[in-house]
Parts: sequence; structure tokens; C-alpha cells
Amino acid sequence: MAGLPLEGIRVLDFTWVVAGPVATRILADHGAEVIKLERKPGPPGSRQTGLQGDLHRNKLSIAVNMAHTRGIEIARKLAQRSDLVIDNFSARVMRSWGMDYASLSRVKPDIICVSMSGLGHTGPRANYVSYGPTLQALSGYTLLMTESGGEPAGYGYSYADMAGGYTGALAALMALWNRRRTGRGQFVDLSQFEAVVSLIGPSLLDIAVNGRDQSPPGYRSQELPAAPHGVYRCRPLGDDDDRWLAIAVRGQAEWDRFVGAIGSPAWAYDAKFRTLYVRTRNSAELDANVSRWTIERVAEEAMERLQRAGIAAGVVSNGADICERNPQLRARRFWGTVRLPDGSNANVTGVPTKTSAQGGSIRSPSPPIGSANGFVLGELLGYSAAEQDALIAEKAIWP
Amino acid sequence: MAIPPGALDGLRVLDLTDCRGQLCARLMADMGADVIKVEPPAGDLARRIGPFVDGIPHHDRSLFFWFYNLNKRSLTLDLTRPRGAEILRTLARSADVVIESSKPGRIREMGLGWEELRRINPALILLSIASFGQTGPYRDFEADDTVLSALGGMLYVNGFPGRQPVRPLGLQAYHSSAYYGAIATLCALFARDRDGLGQWIDLSMQEATACAVEHVAGSYFGEGRIEPRRGTLHWSRYFRVGKCRDGYIMHCTLGDWTSLVEWVAGDGKAKDLTGPEWQDVGYRAVHAEHLFDVLDEWAKDYNRDDLLDRAQALRLPFATVRKPEALFDDEQLAARGYFVEVEHPELGRSFRYPGAPYLMNGSPWRVYRRPPLIGEHTGQILRGELNLDSGELAEMAAEGII
Repeated sequence: MAGLPLEGIRVLDFTWVVAGPVATRILADHGAEVIKLERKPGPPGSRQTGLQGDLHRNKLSIAVNMAHTRGIEIARKLAQRSDLVIDNFSARVMRSWGMDYASLSRVKPDIICVSMSGLGHTGPRANYVSYGPTLQALSGYTLLMTESGGEPAGYGYSYADMAGGYTGALAALMALWNRRRTGRGQFVDLSQFEAVVSLIGPSLLDIAVNGRDQSPPGYRSQELPAAPHGVYRCRPLGDDDDRWLAIAVRGQAEWDRFVGAIGSPAWAYDAKFRTLYVRTRNSAELDANVSRWTIERVAEEAMERLQRAGIAAGVVSNGADICERNPQLRARRFWGTVRLPDGSNANVTGVPTKTSAQGGSIRSPSPPIGSANGFVLGELLGYSAAEQDALIAEKAIWP
Repeated sequence: MAIPPGALDGLRVLDLTDCRGQLCARLMADMGADVIKVEPPAGDLARRIGPFVDGIPHHDRSLFFWFYNLNKRSLTLDLTRPRGAEILRTLARSADVVIESSKPGRIREMGLGWEELRRINPALILLSIASFGQTGPYRDFEADDTVLSALGGMLYVNGFPGRQPVRPLGLQAYHSSAYYGAIATLCALFARDRDGLGQWIDLSMQEATACAVEHVAGSYFGEGRIEPRRGTLHWSRYFRVGKCRDGYIMHCTLGDWTSLVEWVAGDGKAKDLTGPEWQDVGYRAVHAEHLFDVLDEWAKDYNRDDLLDRAQALRLPFATVRKPEALFDDEQLAARGYFVEVEHPELGRSFRYPGAPYLMNGSPWRVYRRPPLIGEHTGQILRGELNLDSGELAEMAAEGII
């Protein structure tokens, strides 16, 4: 039986917060040995459940004090035994430890360094401090994610961190593949800002080519024209009145099926809804009519009914919907489970791909900080037990 | 010095996707893979999606198509006809990757299913991108990006409590899926390098979307909490949109607190924020509403660019809430050469495209060719690479296969 796809690849991981850990989690899920170098104590809060459990699963952790020269020495030794070193600091930090690409490639010529800084290592704003939400603000997402005339709501979360993480994982894989082909390492200067800007490409081309100012898309289709197209309030589920159904009706054939599925109401035969063009023009009135149908129905039932007619419809799902109730995610066993040291189980986000061979998988929980000290320092780097004790005594590592 | 080849130089990808999967193959084309976009003879439906150059709808003027198909070649081929499917099978013999996004079961009906393809080429990697994956009760459900955003949990958490959720800008359910698809494909290449065998990757876009919402499952599984919509407040409670004199700013309370309070107090607007309890980052999260109300009152007399410059000088992670148009005047993007000119000789013009999402010094991102005209490389591929003669080509063209 073949092993995990990235078996045999070792990653020295300096990343923190979200974007970097997402990138290295993806590599770890696919079998890379990811060694997370951290300080102690870590941030407050549980690290084995919730988002933190998601971010660090399948990784190893060592607790090394990078403010100590012998800590830096350990990290540099480990880098020489690694295929890839990844961080999400500004350029200054890795350089101050002698662990930037220029320094590391002198001692290990085929090393790959991926740096996932906020705005990149070069340029006048290279030292800007940023987080996912601030990058979304700079890129245009926040302002254009709004109800008409309302305050810019943007994402309520850090999509930029996720997008940055995916981009980081892909860049790392590209560099690893390139090394397999050519034997050469390289430096990847990833700007999370550029990663997230790249995901509004068609809007940017519209600005560049047509000089057109972008307006909030609202629920106007951003792909093939559709009407109705939007989210419609449904009947409360118990005392939860925040139930909505997303519906997209594209061509004329779909419209005819849609009208049939909602019981052929008289309004649907009005001239102002006859063609896609006029439906788009009269979308406010159309949406009001559709809402009168959905508000009488439980979102799940309305979705089933429309899907049976071949109409794209989906419940606007909350945490309980996706984590517990969604029959599709359950049937595909999407959510993963890890066994925690205390013997209990915790659920984590799964891997969205299944393969006919061995693909990504969830194998171990987020590690306690420093729990792989013995393996990494002892087995990989050859420090004796006495030497490790001495390193602890001089506070170069934490036990 | 010559520019070294891209990381995927030498790999061939057959891209059978429609608008739902096309970014995935684009990411590979940008790295030097030879991506052949296989379109129906009437053209990919994505060519009918706007915006269009000068607002004139035409299959070779869709900016939507351009963005997702830069660096690819185009082959028109009707895969629903036996002759078309046969040509695809021939191409699959020497291809490394096939990417498709049709309804589950559809490629099998055309004689292009996994069993068939791997019989032809055991080293082939097949990536199937489907709304809900190849199995399960929703397998045959219809979806677009909005419906996937809904069922993946991405939609519910944006916007204001009690009001209609706000949709993301751009097709982010598709985009998340594309990245996961490219990642899984690269991983499959590593596995193939070891055992010589390809694999079939079953990607669920609903699942990829659920992966792209960082906190929803974490909060539910970790704390049993259903994440609500929080308006302009970020779920972590460390960020909120605030109003300045000339627009909006993103406040952040994760930077150096002492610097921030000194600044606000210097303007006489700190109110109770000078108290020692606010030094604690957790306290700031718990009392975020009051904290941001005080900051809003303070920021409203500033212009946003002044506020940003001063905040960043103090290492405070603030940002201006900008229009995307501002990206074209952004000094940082300009200094890094983010936007690139791509020539469209048939229009006699060149256009600025968004460029590399990462800078690699050993195998750089680059523009190899502008997005293809419809069927632009059909002759080149069929005549030049499959050695079909002009007679056969004419015959297939007459039958509407190419």
C-alpha cells in the first residue's frame, strides 16, 4: 500500500496566528512531517479543540527559545535537516536569526524557504503590520460586501487567512515539485495581500480594461445571469427565525421548472417575469414574490422540493447545520475525529478531497507545545538526554 | 540571464472544466504546465459571462473568461460525440492530469470515466470537481457559487444580525475549491512519482467551502456555539469597521495597546481606556463594543490615510477600507510588479492583469500566453500533435465535432 503523498518531506514551521498554520496543516494532512517551533507558554485557551485543534492537527511541536543563541543553533541545525522552512514574519525576523534564505542556502543549497508575510518582503509597505481582516479592507472586499447603502460588513471572519494559507500550501508544493525536477531550492516571497487580491480577478480586469467602478454585487449573479437569484427568508425552525434559502434560477427551462415547483402561482405568468431579461430588470418584485413562497416553508423542505425539480437551491447553513444536520456532509464523513490525550474525542474540520489512493487524512490531534522535543532533539539532531537537560537548564528550550 | 522554467514545466493538463473549475487549471498553467482547455465547439459557457471588453458581449471579449484562462491553450471538441471522446482519450494517453467539473457520472457516460481513463493511462491523475462530490444524497443537487456558499456555511456569518446575510465578493466557493483541487493534484503527482500510479480525486466544493470558513466549525465543536452574524465586528472581537472623516477604517486592538491609548489620550478622546484593565487583550475582546465605540468617536476627525500612516508607524495593524479601484494606485503592489501587461494582438491593445499570487525566485510565475480565442489551438494540437490530416479536420469541423 502506498504511503501518504508527502511522506518523507520535512517542514520546519515558524508560522503562527492562522494563515501560516493553515498552509502547514494542509502539508501535514498530506503526510509531510511538520515540526512546529514554538515558545512557551503559548497563547491562552484550548489548543486541542475548536479552531486551534483544526489548525495544528497532524503536526509535531517543539518548544525552542529563539531569544537564546543555543535556541537559534537548534533551529538552524533542524533547518539543515528539513526540506522546507516556512514563516509568516516580516523579512527582518528570520534574517536576525540567520535563518533567511540567503543564509540557509549557504549551508543547505537545496533548501526551500517560504515566507508568508502580510504585504511581502519588498516594497515601501513591506513592514506594515496586518491581519486577515485588515488585508480584506485594503483589497476591497470589506467595502463591497454590504447591503445597498449600508455599512460595509465585509467578511465576519478572516477569509484572507484561509486564502493566504491555501496559496502558501500551493506555493510550497510547487517549490517542492520544482526541486524534485531540478534538484534546486528557492525562496518564495508570498504576500498575503497579493494572494487575496488575486481572488477578485474579474473585477480587477473590469477596472483595468473598462475603467468601471465596482459596486457591491449584492445578490446579482456573478456568473451566468440568473433571476431569481438570492437568499430568501424561510419559516422559523423551532424558535430560530434566522432561516434562509439560497436560490439560483438560470435559463428559461429552469424558470419553467421553478414555476412548476412552487405551484404555478398566477404572478409568475405576468409579462414582467416572462423572460430572463425582464426578470432581472424586475428582480425586486420577483424576489418579494419568491419570499412569499419561502416564508411559508421550512428551508430544508423548500430546498428538497426545488432540487427535485432540478433547481439550484441550498439552505443558508449555520454552524449546527454544517456540523450536525447536513446529510451530505454526514454521508461523506467529512468531519474528522481526533483522540485527545485524555481519551476523549474531538471533531475537527475534514479534508475536502477523497482519492482512490491515499490522500489527505486526519491522524493526530493538535500537539501540546514541546511534546516532540525528545524526538526532534534526541532522535533527529542527536542531543543526548544530558545535553537536553542542560538546554532546559539554560532556558534554550522549554521542557 | 534566462528565466528558469516554471515548476510544472513538462506536465500536460487537460482542462475539461466549466466556470466552476477553471481557476484550478489556471493555477497550474501559471506555473508552466501545458494546459489544454477543452471547450465545446460553441465555446465554454464562461465566455458568455461578463464583464466584457468595452461592454460588448462576445465569446472572445469576456473578462471573466480571460481571468480564469490566461496561459491556457484552447481546443474545441464535442465530447458528447464518440469521435470527440475518442480524440480526448488519445490526448489522455500522454497527459498527466485531467480536470473536470461536470455532473457526477457524466464523464462516464461519455466513455471518459476513471476506469476507462486509467486503462488507457495508469499514470493519469483525474481530478473531479463537483458541487457535492461524487457520492452522497446531494450528489445530483444543482448549485452555483451562491448556493455552495450557503450550504458550505460561508454565507450565514456575513452581514448584520436579523438581516439578510451578505454574499462574498467574487466566486469564493469556486476559488476555495480550485486551490484545494490544485493542492490535491500536486500531492497526487508526488505519490505518482513514488509508485507510478495515478489516482482519482473526488473534490466536494461544499466541503472545500466549509473548510474556508475558519471559525464556524471550530466554535461549534469547541464551544457548542453557533456563530452569528456580527455586522462590522470580526468574530474574534479584535477588529471592527469604523468611520473616519472621509471614509472607513478597519480598527484593530491587537497591536501595542500603550501606543494606541497614548495617541487617543493625546487627542483627549480616550475616556476610560486609560484604565489598567484594558491592557489585557482578553478584556478588550470581552468589552469590544464599548472599546470600538470610543475609537469611532476618536477616529471620526481623522482622514483615513493620515490615520493609517500614523497607526502603522506605531506598529498598529490598522487598514483603510478601500475600493478595489485603489489597488491600481497602490504603491506596494506597484513596487512588487503585481499588475502585468498582457498583449491582445487581435484587439491591438494590451491590458493590465492581476499577476502572481506569490513570487518564486527559482521557478517564477509568468504570462506565457494571453487567454485563448475560441478553438485557437485546435489545428495546432490535432494536426501537429495527434497527426490528424486536413481532410479529417475538415470532416470533423463539418460534423460540428471541432
